[in-house]
Amino acid sequence: MKCPRCVQVIHRGAGLCPHCGFGIAEMDARHGTDNLSLRRLSDVAGLMKSRERTKVQAALDDFARRFPQLFFAVHTASGEGGGNVRQFGFWLLNRAAFEDVPVDRPNEAGILLVIDAESKSASVTWGYLLDPYLTEEDTFLCLSRAHAYWLEGRFAEGTVRMVAQLGKILSKRAAQARRDPERFERKVAPPAKTGEIARRIREGHRPMKRENVEVRP
Amino acid sequence: MAWGALEPPLPVWRDEDREAMERGELVPGLTLLTETTAQEAAAEAEVPSPAAGEISADEQESPEVAERFLDDYFETRPTDFLVDPQQLLGTKDARDRQSFLKYHSGDSEVDLFVYLFDGHQAIPSEVREEEVVERFFSDGKPAVVVYYYLGAPQKSEIYLSPFLSETVSAAEQRRALNSSVEEAMEKPDALAQFEAFCVQLSIRIYWMERAAGLVEDAPAIPLARRVHAVEKEEAASGAVLQAKEWGHRYGVSSGIMAGAVLIVVGGLSIARRRARYRFPSFEVAPRLGGSHAAGIGAVISFGSTTQSPSSQRNEVPNYLGL
Repeated sequence: MKCPRCVQVIHRGAGLCPHCGFGIAEMDARHGTDNLSLRRLSDVAGLMKSRERTKVQAALDDFARRFPQLFFAVHTASGEGGGNVRQFGFWLLNRAAFEDVPVDRPNEAGILLVIDAESKSASVTWGYLLDPYLTEEDTFLCLSRAHAYWLEGRFAEGTVRMVAQLGKILSKRAAQARRDPERFERKVAPPAKTGEIARRIREGHRPMKRENVEVRP
Repeated sequence: MAWGALEPPLPVWRDEDREAMERGELVPGLTLLTETTAQEAAAEAEVPSPAAGEISADEQESPEVAERFLDDYFETRPTDFLVDPQQLLGTKDARDRQSFLKYHSGDSEVDLFVYLFDGHQAIPSEVREEEVVERFFSDGKPAVVVYYYLGAPQKSEIYLSPFLSETVSAAEQRRALNSSVEEAMEKPDALAQFEAFCVQLSIRIYWMERAAGLVEDAPAIPLARRVHAVEKEEAASGAVLQAKEWGHRYGVSSGIMAGAVLIVVGGLSIARRRARYRFPSFEVAPRLGGSHAAGIGAVISFGSTTQSPSSQRNEVPNYLGL
């Protein structure tokens, strides 16, 4: 868990980044507090042709079909994030309302890809549901799959590849989580309180029950 | 002055000179127009002219082929295409010429035999070249026999085996020989001349064998293609037969196995397509004020085509070491 601005590790449940003081309020002040109405594929920057958008939409539909809890959204921008797509993605996934996503799939279950044509960069942001299952490295692997296509300006093809790669990773994680859910639960469990730690220490130091041992004189 | 003293004395008029000039026998100043001086003329006059006997002796200097070689030349039909018992050619050159003549023999319906002599040599008069050819080359493969004089290709003589001489005119034979000699004479040295002579004559023999009707004018390529096609068909039919045999032997079992594999693969593919992946949902405390999401993934730049994706990863160093 990292801060989208300083990219330093932050603790679970931190209201503000303890390192740089970043919070969503700062982004609200910059972009507004009103909710945005978007679709899963919003090509604001116009990077894709009509036919290409159809292919991307089909890939997003396929992703939503395979993962009934999740949805994947793509947003192309042109400098909207002020040069920091990481912060912009974080803000957008918290403030956007996706019209074509069923109500049983909240933004907590969303994955948002932001492509900024001006800064030629892309980032991935995900909701709290996926916190235990996705890592930064996973998303980098997915972005790498799309990198060659994006270099050539083939944004739709790259996006389709990226969605497919993310589907592979998540399908493996889902199988692992079905076998061993506690392993993933530990990643997001709230930190133990001080009293709880003291209790565990006491239990750990409690003398063991003495077994009945016959002692013959 | 000293140089002037060395000059010849000036001519002095005499009466007999005037009379000779009037008769037209003397041209004044003629000695000045000629390059030879009087002394040189006198010196040249002192050289005795050769006697008639001496001149005839020079002509007799070109020896006939030594008698000890005659048997090797003319006793039997040669086994090699190059007949050189005197070993006028070096080992390598002889081998090269021999291999060329062998190549010609393999490629042509008419063999080419070359009897090699030195340029100044002559075949003894008791040897009748035509008779030699008739005696040794009447049977067997038709042949062209050439008596070649190394360094003097113009002395070469050509004879054809009886079968060929009946069909190839003497004029054609002469043209072939002249063409080969002309080709040889363009070369600077004797070995190159011999090589050029053989090559050109080999080419002319190509036309001779057509004139003799030994080779059809129809190109051989279509025939070769037909043979090739037949071989292919045979090969293809062999493969087909083998496939049929395997089909009879393993057809049923392999068909069942292939069907089973296809069913399994198809089933797996359908199962994967229909598979739905669900995740256990855990309670996660909100971070940074975000009510829905705070999962921060990687950022990648795609501005440079020369750098790898890893080097274009936008990563802020973890300077706190957390």
